[in-house]
Amino acid sequence: MSGLSQKPWIWSYLAALAAFGATMIVSGGQGGGSLFFAALTFASFAVIVGVGQMFVITLGPGNVDLSIPATMTLAATLALKFMDTNTSLMLPGLLIALGTGTACGIFNFGLILLLRIPPIIATLSSSFLFQSLAIWSNRGLRIKPPEPLADFATGGLVIPNLALVAIGVAVVAWIVLERAIVGRWILATGQNMRAAQLSGVPVNGVRFGVYVASAILASLSGFLLANFSGGANLNMGAEYMLTSIAVVVIGGSSIAGGNSNVPGVCGAALFMFLLVSMLNSYGFGAGARLILTGVIIMMVVVFASKRKYAA
Amino acid sequence: MKTIAKLFTVTAALAMTTALPVAADTSGKSIALSNNYAGNSWRQAMLESWSKVTGAAVADGVVKAADAFTTSENQATEQAAQIQNMILQGYDAIVLNAASPTAINGAVKEACDAGITVVSFDGIVTEPCAWRIAVDFKQMGRNQVKYLAERYPDGGNLLEIRGLAGVFVDDEISAGIHEEVANTNFEIVGSVHGDWAQDVAQKAVAGILPSLPELTAVVTQGGDGYGAAQAIAAANRPTPTIVMGNRQDELAWWAEQKAANGYETTSLSIAPGVSTLAFWVAQQILDGADVPKDLTVPFLTIEQDGLEAALETTPVGSVANVEYSLEDAKAVIDASQ
Repeated sequence: MSGLSQKPWIWSYLAALAAFGATMIVSGGQGGGSLFFAALTFASFAVIVGVGQMFVITLGPGNVDLSIPATMTLAATLALKFMDTNTSLMLPGLLIALGTGTACGIFNFGLILLLRIPPIIATLSSSFLFQSLAIWSNRGLRIKPPEPLADFATGGLVIPNLALVAIGVAVVAWIVLERAIVGRWILATGQNMRAAQLSGVPVNGVRFGVYVASAILASLSGFLLANFSGGANLNMGAEYMLTSIAVVVIGGSSIAGGNSNVPGVCGAALFMFLLVSMLNSYGFGAGARLILTGVIIMMVVVFASKRKYAA
Repeated sequence: MKTIAKLFTVTAALAMTTALPVAADTSGKSIALSNNYAGNSWRQAMLESWSKVTGAAVADGVVKAADAFTTSENQATEQAAQIQNMILQGYDAIVLNAASPTAINGAVKEACDAGITVVSFDGIVTEPCAWRIAVDFKQMGRNQVKYLAERYPDGGNLLEIRGLAGVFVDDEISAGIHEEVANTNFEIVGSVHGDWAQDVAQKAVAGILPSLPELTAVVTQGGDGYGAAQAIAAANRPTPTIVMGNRQDELAWWAEQKAANGYETTSLSIAPGVSTLAFWVAQQILDGADVPKDLTVPFLTIEQDGLEAALETTPVGSVANVEYSLEDAKAVIDASQ
């Protein structure tokens, strides 16, 4: 029963491949290399935030991190303002971004645990706070990243440097989820929190770790995105709100929690970029494009979830 | 454009020296700014211009107060409630950048009925009792293509970067571009939505480039030129003529290319300082001036020769700006009469 076709995540890769092929048909085989390179680059941001969101969603119904866009914006804004194009401050800049992410994650979980606010409301309201801090700290000015960081973020040999970072994140996440005791704890918490607690899983510790990890990954993704695109924007994270959730679901993880997989997040991230590229290449208007995006995503999700239950 | 306006106002001011001491009439009046969104550099510059110019006006005793309020969610319902609060607080005029051209008409009408002057700008409202300082977005699209047609009379391939799908501004600029393209030899070979953001535009352009032939030029809507340039450079393609939208990073990139290889293009947008134009228009209405209901915002165009000067006065990471004076406002009012 463990054949490749039974894996829920295989469908996201098949869909990505189909979208790539369809784009190549319209371009007459031209530019395959640069499309592949672009897909890997832009999928990297979605993979990094998607892995964080996946862990949060695994925690069970009602768990979702809506503060990802604001965390990305705040971390990137503070880090780029601190570095101020200064090459010698690159490492401290990265640490500031990750430190901001850690603080955001702790704040989120503080709202959830201490004030007993449901995660959706807690992360949504904290995102207003993070976004306001980002506005207040730099008034929306776009500060350029230090040259070497910009070169790193936009460069790469066979595959983009960013894809290496994303693959690194995905491998660590896979080990944590599939091979470490912590991964069992996360899955057990997601399947039944009370049962997990009674069997000795440190449930609150697990939830704390997951929310902080999600915020740290969001801050890493925001930091890389700002270095890649030449500065932090106040609305730079906006599209990752839905993307981070979509890649988890399309990748075959259960939206109800307790059953997740990492390879699917990567395949779905590639698919999301290639799908929009394909529809743009065929010259669809915005309306048709949005409808087709919705229909195609629904189809992939239906396939992925059907196979899972059949197995 | 600015100098012409200045000359114009000098003559206008000379002509009506007898009517000059107008400030006293509005010194007891307070004006509120109702703003629907603050989440990008253009809006931040807009708010900064407002506080700079109105701060000075309050200090000089031209008006009693000029407070700025921004809604957090960019929702029409929220802004309608905000306007109702302003009515209760007793402001004499409300300057408005609206979340929707129609959805807050009810609240605007209530304000008018309470004797409050409402001046909408940029995001205008259709309610007849309000004044409108509108941007001719269609003309903005046409001007881009006109510039390109002059540069390339033989035409070529165009990539169009649009704004946020479903927004009125995006439809208008795009319609202007398409209307004008019909009069030229250009062909629009691709169209993507960049959401007026550099990173979104970069992503969208990187995705469509492989399927496109060589590009002559890229038409844009503002805030997307730099992202397009980055995506095209990453694909190792020759750089087409990208029309810019007055953002500092776009201008800096242009200046870099100009120094390196004589790159030529143009840049146009609306100055965020248009909020100060709306402020002076509201002040003039309170002062009893006869102001037509429909006014037009002048474009801020940066040409090849003016690039360095514009870049110098634009703060790093911001957007090219002009703040309007009382004289500028009078000139705009006179021009539409």
